[in-house]
Amino acid sequence: MAKSHPTDPTADGTPVIALRGVTKTYANGKSALRDVNLSVPEGDFVFLVGPSGAGKSTLIRLLIREELATRGKVMLEGRDLARLKRRDVPKIRRRIGIVFQDFKLLPNKSVRDNVAFALEVTGTPRASIKPAVERVLRVVGLAGQADQRPSELSGGEQQRTAIARALVHAPHLFIADEPTGNLDPLISWEIIQLLLRINEMGVTVLMATHNADVVTALRKRVVGLEGGRVVRDETGAAYHRED
Amino acid sequence: MIAFVAFSLKRAWQGFWRNSLMSLAATASMVLMLTLLSGMVILFLGLNATLDYVKGEVQVVAYLNDSATAQDVAQLTSQLQAMPQVSTVKYVSKDQALKNFQVSEPGVADLVDSLPSNPLPASFEISLRDPSDYIDVATFLRDQPAVDSVQDIAKTVSQMTAVINVVSTVGIVVLLIVGLTVLFIIVNTIRLAVVARAEEIEIMRLVGASDAFIRWPFVFEGAFVGLLGAMITIGLLMLVQAPVASLLSSFFNVLPVQATAMVGQNVALMVLGTGVGIGVVGSYVSVRSYLKR
Repeated sequence: MAKSHPTDPTADGTPVIALRGVTKTYANGKSALRDVNLSVPEGDFVFLVGPSGAGKSTLIRLLIREELATRGKVMLEGRDLARLKRRDVPKIRRRIGIVFQDFKLLPNKSVRDNVAFALEVTGTPRASIKPAVERVLRVVGLAGQADQRPSELSGGEQQRTAIARALVHAPHLFIADEPTGNLDPLISWEIIQLLLRINEMGVTVLMATHNADVVTALRKRVVGLEGGRVVRDETGAAYHRED
Repeated sequence: MIAFVAFSLKRAWQGFWRNSLMSLAATASMVLMLTLLSGMVILFLGLNATLDYVKGEVQVVAYLNDSATAQDVAQLTSQLQAMPQVSTVKYVSKDQALKNFQVSEPGVADLVDSLPSNPLPASFEISLRDPSDYIDVATFLRDQPAVDSVQDIAKTVSQMTAVINVVSTVGIVVLLIVGLTVLFIIVNTIRLAVVARAEEIEIMRLVGASDAFIRWPFVFEGAFVGLLGAMITIGLLMLVQAPVASLLSSFFNVLPVQATAMVGQNVALMVLGTGVGIGVVGSYVSVRSYLKR
């Protein structure tokens, strides 16, 4: 699991995420983000809230460099993503673990193979794959279901498989895009607990969500987006503004 | 590096069988198209062989005066052989001409015996490298005192040259069109196979797989489809080769049939190269559109 150590580029106080005056306008002229400033220090837990179409997904796509900002700077651990060489993009992505509402698991692979896949396709030596996979499966509590296929799992177990896969590269930043969108409240809480544990291990967590109960109960930092602008950024806040 | 190739090959193999329906569709269209293509190529090669044969048959025949001496003959022979347009020169003496006549017209052989002297002239039979050079050689021969007359086949030659040119051009055009169609259909089928795996590619990108790790398994899979398609096609061709060859040789019994083995080898190599090549290029192009972002 990711831990800070002296050679770590983020250990000197550089924010894990830093957006400066970021604007994203798509080719069809639609502005998804307007002049967004955001700084997330290492070890933070941030809820990203806002109505559909507010720009949450665009923000996430910029962070994983699936898109480039039209204006402004997107920095990840102090590195300007716009200046990143094409061949360095995969290396940056290995420092980010990401999960989505729809899990994105390969249906014909077992839980273990789905997690191992992330290591296989990044050229990890075979000998180190198995122990790494077993370790993250224990972290997410799926050691007993390792041989099952996604179709044999509950929604919560599928999301935990996706989380295990996202964790297997020992990321510094964990992004969860509506991770509980398809899950019932009880299971949602299990997933949130897991994300909190990951955060306690020193991983910065950014979670986009519509789940008001969770956001309000946890009193973490809340960044609100509306119409592509940051309309609030409060620590220890509720889902809805309390003023 | 070896681990990477092994990984890619393993994933290519798995990918082929996991989407077996799509892979078999791609292989089937590969076989269909390669068979069509090799059929066209064989036809084209046969046509070319026929044209070459016909070209070789174009001869300038020059009849000599009976007064021509052995020295005249020797001199003319060496002059003709020195001409770049000429491939072979054959001298047919008066006696030889008579023998040939007796062999080719056995019904009138007795008649020849009753003649007081041999009425047939000696002649040169000159094969040309290119039938269109006929005029040059014929003009040269007409100017020679020892030559009595030159058989006039100018019209035949010019007609034949025209036909040969048209037929070769049409052959090349048809071959090109078939080849491009084959390329287009196979690339599209492979593209469909790649689209079916879009989610897998997306996951690979998200977990930080490098472009090479995403691309090469697909390229190997394409090569595998090409290889399999080519081998099936070659098998099919070998099955039909014997009956088709006998059919062809009974059709064009004048053709030198010993060329078949070499033609077979060349066609097999072409099928193999085209199959694997299209498979590789097709997958490369199809995956590239996913990696561009």
